[in-house]
Amino acid sequence: MTLFHFGNCFALAYFPYFITYKCSGLSEYNAFWRCVQAGATYLFVQLCKMLFLATFFPTWEGGAGVYDFVGEFMKATVDLADLLGLHLVMSRNAGKGEYKIMVAAMGWSTAELVMSRCIPLWVGARGIEFDWKYIQMSFDSNISLVHYIAMAAVVWMFTRYDLPKSFRLPVTVLLGLCVYKAFLME
Amino acid sequence: MFEEASEVFDNMFKSSFPLTFIVFIPAVLILVSPLPAEAAHEFTVYRMQQYDLQGQPYGTRNAILNTEARTVEAEVLSRRCVIMRLVDFSYERYQKALRQSAGAVVIILPKNMSTMPQDIVQFMELEPEMLATETIVPVYFALEDDELLSIYTQTLTSSSSQGSSSAAEVLIHTATANGFQMVTSGAQSKAVSDWAITSLEGRLAGTGGEDLPTIVLVAHYDSFGVAPWLSYGADSNGSGVSMLLELARLFSRLYTYKRTHAGYNLLFFVSGGGKFNYQGTKRWLEDNLDHTDSSLLQDNVAFVLCLDTLGNGDSLHLHVSKPPKEGTAQYALLKELETVASNQYPEVKFSMVHKKINLADDTLAWEHERFGIRRLPAFTLSHLNSHREVQRSSIMDVRPHVDLRKLSRNTKLIAESLARVIYNLTEKGAPGDLQIFTEQMMQEEQLSSVVDWLTAQPRAAQLVDKDSSVVSTLEYHLGRYLKDVRRHYVKADKRDPEFVFYDQLKQTMNAYRVKPAIFDLLLAFCIAAYLGVIYLSIQKVVERLYAKSP
Repeated sequence: MTLFHFGNCFALAYFPYFITYKCSGLSEYNAFWRCVQAGATYLFVQLCKMLFLATFFPTWEGGAGVYDFVGEFMKATVDLADLLGLHLVMSRNAGKGEYKIMVAAMGWSTAELVMSRCIPLWVGARGIEFDWKYIQMSFDSNISLVHYIAMAAVVWMFTRYDLPKSFRLPVTVLLGLCVYKAFLME
Repeated sequence: MFEEASEVFDNMFKSSFPLTFIVFIPAVLILVSPLPAEAAHEFTVYRMQQYDLQGQPYGTRNAILNTEARTVEAEVLSRRCVIMRLVDFSYERYQKALRQSAGAVVIILPKNMSTMPQDIVQFMELEPEMLATETIVPVYFALEDDELLSIYTQTLTSSSSQGSSSAAEVLIHTATANGFQMVTSGAQSKAVSDWAITSLEGRLAGTGGEDLPTIVLVAHYDSFGVAPWLSYGADSNGSGVSMLLELARLFSRLYTYKRTHAGYNLLFFVSGGGKFNYQGTKRWLEDNLDHTDSSLLQDNVAFVLCLDTLGNGDSLHLHVSKPPKEGTAQYALLKELETVASNQYPEVKFSMVHKKINLADDTLAWEHERFGIRRLPAFTLSHLNSHREVQRSSIMDVRPHVDLRKLSRNTKLIAESLARVIYNLTEKGAPGDLQIFTEQMMQEEQLSSVVDWLTAQPRAAQLVDKDSSVVSTLEYHLGRYLKDVRRHYVKADKRDPEFVFYDQLKQTMNAYRVKPAIFDLLLAFCIAAYLGVIYLSIQKVVERLYAKSP
């Protein structure tokens, strides 16, 4: 609506990240550069996913009302690459113990915030027209921060060797839910 | 964190200078770029007339608008755009908006204008009043559709609830209400230079020697209304033009055979700029009488018959500036009209209306007065009693205003009377009820299609330039029946222009949904509270985590 509104949405979106960064003690570990590296990995993974999708999945010409289950299922499966990316970040990045999760998740979600939310907010929230969706988008980014932290934690747990067997199943289920969340929502 | 971040940026600055350019130039460009926004609703609006006639300005002077919308019930109207529907429109409300220095006025017209006759008549009476006062404020007309109606109702609820509720209600109201910002996309209006008004003439030459008397038939083809893009001018003067074309067709058929070729020259003139004090006719007369050596108009003119608004009504008035003297061709036509009307069409009330030319008036009354000033015998035939009737210049004058049967009956009447004069039938003893033109000769479908075509587009003088399809189609039509079809152009004089037209008559208006400014503050406050809560909760969580792990 105006620059002020843009400022509002930006604050709503970005400040929780800032607060999380500050309060989780990451700043004491000089983890800023590592977060940026995690963000770069995010970009790389998204690029690979896009190329893969574009090459192997031609546009489906089914009817408009028919939801193409199989196609969308395959596309969602590609989101497994997200999990692989998180795992990659956590295994390669040095970082002590639990902070690996935080670093990976922070970097990943910040990159996602910048890439997918900044431009719509800039172009849309600054215009004269007011729409509730910009507030929704900013709030959504908060939720995805929590989501990515949880996802990174589950991935980490999945890769631990000394995990009791009884935990395996719920962890796998949770991982599956993460990947297919978008798909199940439809 | 900021120290680390600044370290990173420092490295970036020091290491590679071009890299910083690559990063920062796009950022700066994006910052200063203009913003194309999507609107809640985009619709076409038509501006009120803006013209100068003989130095006197009329209509609205402004075209741009970028203001918030309100309806007329709101208390504060200054610098706001006032939206009114036609059903609620009244002159007092319009004046009220103008007095409170409103930013603009937008009047919403219903799609189907013929459904509410009283409103239409009331609006027709107001049109000349609206135009007579010069307004600085832009006045626009829009055709109603569903979205526009919803915008109007939303604005109405928010406007009428101002100033009558408690503080809490006002607070909730500001958070939830939707305001609208109306923005036009065009530029400021400016005068159009070198606009050429086109007129067309054509003739049918008589037989039997030199110096034959000439009969001139005239009709102006342009239309007038409070908004140029909405003035279709069905009755005034689409009926006149279609009748003229039909008469041209009939007499050209008669003139092709030697037996029926009469001893009169027939000159047909379709004039432009008629609603702006008959500019086309004025210049044509000057050119023909002052600047050429020989012209049909200079020699023997029997009379000039102007056709103006003949598509409805059961009366016919012959408007003259001087009652015709006995023994002249003018008098003969008058008598023939009376004869034919009384014998063949008894339902038509025919009368002569005498009105002297008043040169002190701003504009001339009827087209025949232009000829009268140049001492040519002329009269105008119309079903209207007075030239001040509002039907002559209203946007409500659309196709349903023309009754085709009555138009065709009037055409027959005039054709018969003209034939009786041209062939001198009364002197030869033909009875009053002799029908010259049989049913087969009259083609009602042709009349109907010409009227339909004429009323399909707005024909305001500001919109019809010399390349317009209206002019070329009329030229083609006349060319089928008449010889020597010529165009005639009128351009305003450079130093002392008789007429000045302005542009930006049709615009696209965008209605953006906006929230009041307080809403932003409210939202900022809520977000600050939310962030505070999150901060505190994260602090608590982290403390507990630290307390747990050793």
